[in-house]
Amino acid sequence: MSEQVHNRLAMVRAERKVSRQSLAEAVGAHYQTIGYIERGQYNPSLDLALKIAKFFDLPVEALFSLEPFRPLTDEVYGRKQS
Amino acid sequence: MTTTRLTRHDRSMLRLMNDRRALPLYATATRRRLVVATHVTLTAAIVALIGYFCLARAEPVWSAAVAAVLMLPWMVATGVINGATRGLMELREHVLDERQSAERRRVLARAHRLMTWLLLGSVVGLLAAGAADDDALRVYAAPVLVAVLTLHWLLPLWVAGLAAQDEPGDDEATALQG
Repeated sequence: MSEQVHNRLAMVRAERKVSRQSLAEAVGAHYQTIGYIERGQYNPSLDLALKIAKFFDLPVEALFSLEPFRPLTDEVYGRKQS
Repeated sequence: MTTTRLTRHDRSMLRLMNDRRALPLYATATRRRLVVATHVTLTAAIVALIGYFCLARAEPVWSAAVAAVLMLPWMVATGVINGATRGLMELREHVLDERQSAERRRVLARAHRLMTWLLLGSVVGLLAAGAADDDALRVYAAPVLVAVLTLHWLLPLWVAGLAAQDEPGDDEATALQG
């Protein structure tokens, strides 16, 4: 019933050099749950998604989306989507 | 994991259930299936031995002794399954996070469905045996009840052990662009 939620969590976490364990502790989740979210095997609740977004100080839509994210290089260098 | 304060017992159980020293024993689905199969076999053997000890007229001490010896590997296998599931069925509800709570509900629902069929099979089997032989109901009722009680207790653990997934790897590339 649930729709696939796309996310950039792994990329943002790697960029900020945050381990799964420390992110999990900060948002009150199990580290495996962070892994499952990153792999797209689990869609977080709104509550958890907001907590993760708050942890990274980003709007929730920067991390989670119902549409696939465009590659960052396209966004930065302005290549138009075909 | 909710914001509810964890007790010392909760924290110690959480540490224990997330101890990864036994990871090689449950790292793959095949190994987890093997551990669950071992646990099922040991459980059946222990229940049969204790049943024999209680029901046999001579009260054979050897069966109780063998059952006591088998308890040790049974406890190890229980620990391995709990490690594989990160304590999904062992930890208290407020210690689990939202994904784990949902997973526990799924496991319990699956075990419940399976248990319903097993109970139905037991009842039909007992009634059929009773119809064929008047003494069968009296003789088999107690062992079947003990077996069903044991299944009711352990089936969720076995289902959780079989449903456990591999540890998420550190493959960042798979999720980079969602």
